[in-house]
Amino acid sequence: MRTSRAKEFFVEFLKILYYYKGRVLFSFSGVALGILSICVIITTIEGANRKAKEIFESLGPDSIMVFSGAERQRQARIRVNTLTHDDAESISKISGVHDVVKILAVRGFPVKYKERKWQTVVVGCTPNYFHSFSWNFELGGPFGDSQLDRQESVCVLGAKVRKELFSNDDPTGKWILVGRLPVKVLGVLEEKGGSFGGSHVDDRIIMPLSTVMNRVSGEKKYLSMLRLKTTRDPEETVEDIRRVLRRNHGILEGAEDDFTIRSSKDIFNFVSVISGSLLLFLGTASIVALIVSGFVLSNLFYLTIYERRKDIGIRRAYGASRRGILISFLLESVVITLIGGIVGVILSYALGSTFERLFDMPMIFNYKVILFAVLFSFFTGLLSGLKPAMRASSIEPIEAIRG
Amino acid sequence: MLKNVKKSYFIGEREISVLKGVDLEIEKGDFVILMGVSGSGKTTLLNIIGLLDRKSEGEYLFMGLNVDDLSDEALAKMRNRHIGFVFQQFFLLPYLNALENVLIPIIYSDKKIRNPRERAKALLERFGLKDRIYSKPSQLSGGEQQRVAIARALINDPDIILADEPTGALDSKTGSEIMDLFRILNEEGKTIVCVTHDPNVKSFGRRILKIVDGVISEDVEG
Repeated sequence: MRTSRAKEFFVEFLKILYYYKGRVLFSFSGVALGILSICVIITTIEGANRKAKEIFESLGPDSIMVFSGAERQRQARIRVNTLTHDDAESISKISGVHDVVKILAVRGFPVKYKERKWQTVVVGCTPNYFHSFSWNFELGGPFGDSQLDRQESVCVLGAKVRKELFSNDDPTGKWILVGRLPVKVLGVLEEKGGSFGGSHVDDRIIMPLSTVMNRVSGEKKYLSMLRLKTTRDPEETVEDIRRVLRRNHGILEGAEDDFTIRSSKDIFNFVSVISGSLLLFLGTASIVALIVSGFVLSNLFYLTIYERRKDIGIRRAYGASRRGILISFLLESVVITLIGGIVGVILSYALGSTFERLFDMPMIFNYKVILFAVLFSFFTGLLSGLKPAMRASSIEPIEAIRG
Repeated sequence: MLKNVKKSYFIGEREISVLKGVDLEIEKGDFVILMGVSGSGKTTLLNIIGLLDRKSEGEYLFMGLNVDDLSDEALAKMRNRHIGFVFQQFFLLPYLNALENVLIPIIYSDKKIRNPRERAKALLERFGLKDRIYSKPSQLSGGEQQRVAIARALINDPDIILADEPTGALDSKTGSEIMDLFRILNEEGKTIVCVTHDPNVKSFGRRILKIVDGVISEDVEG
């Protein structure tokens, strides 16, 4: 007969929730919002970490980048080029260093094919660029040392530029205008997707360094970036590079570097720090939100219990014990917050794809998130419901019925 | 059976004595009407009989059992198993329909009752509420609500029914119908104790007790 009891209890329970639907909706939406934001945070951070790892792995743990300009200028997006061919030469002589790629990037450069125009980054580089950054070709192929030596007007298009200028046509062998210089397209890079440092990785044109320096940018001396690999400990190599560059640039002791060195490890750490502080701020905010909604919930339950005093009195008269009342009210609060938690998880899952598109941040969902959300909403319900439920169970039947 | 039962409340520092020594024995199958003006202590007495309240002094044996030492849980179980309550204000739960209201005691019951829903329906039909089984309390008249409440009191097949002013919120015709129902239930063997100040109700009882100022002043066969 326990089954029929349970059934009646269940039916009644649903009716109570339905009867107080306004209050229930209000209660669980607070919890749902809290859980939603926590889920978004966790999944985004998980995604960011994975992305950092991907970057780390694709660059290789032995990879080091040297940028022109001091740390602070870079942060302020002031681009000052300070690296030279001589610097590259000196660095390549450091023991263990190999595969030095010289890069001069020019931003916001107009390109044109027939009537179609676009603005993109023109990357001038040495031919080892393609291999070093592990680019693959969708169509055609790269330029080589001979084109570099002869300052030939050739280029390779990023997938985005190809799309803007050629749609789906094959651009290889066609001529485009880079600034006022006619340039022949040799190939198209495979799409990588994603962005790094604010610009889309597929939105670029790759040309021989010499061509860009002498015929496109007018910048004949300075490079914007060097990329190299080392067979030695990256930390030690970084120190060697710093010493060489400070000497080359004549920087006095105590003065700031006019360049910035980044190892893969730095990039990885950087993303981790960002996601860490994200977690700290947003995480605290959403936990505070949950606690607040817990308090609101608690007060709503007090109100409900005051309203249902007679209800409680009747149940007590008809055989409900204090414990029975306690359990049924606790159950009510826990079920409401659990519904909130589940709705929050579903919402964040639905919003996840939108977020991914908006911020280009992958969100990673796993059982941990769901477990966390469910546990958190469960405890919110338990804690906020406990005191009111204890109050309910302490109501004496005769008082409740008389009042 | 109650022996020299006293009950007093404290309001602040002042002790207010409501029952000042009540001796009463109620036989199985009896139909007792407890009469008295308001404040005479009749409801307090009914609550003590119904195990909703504890006495301050004296002795109370419920079905031969001393209930003084019983825990809250045990008292709740006793109420569920042996007592059916009917109140002046009906006290039906607004979010449940008539049938579900009748089923409330089942939730807290460990008695074996087969098909409680069928049983509840049968009770409602018997009380002329066949068309009202799925109505909410707000859609029912006072008399109908009270009949639902009586069905609720009966669902667990109790030994005794305690009614506190069951006709107080009803007009005299409906009130008589309700009392008639109690009379029939009594004839079927239920013990009934009914508190009232309504003299019209008197005629239904087999035994009429008058409470004045916390003591039983009159005890006559009806």
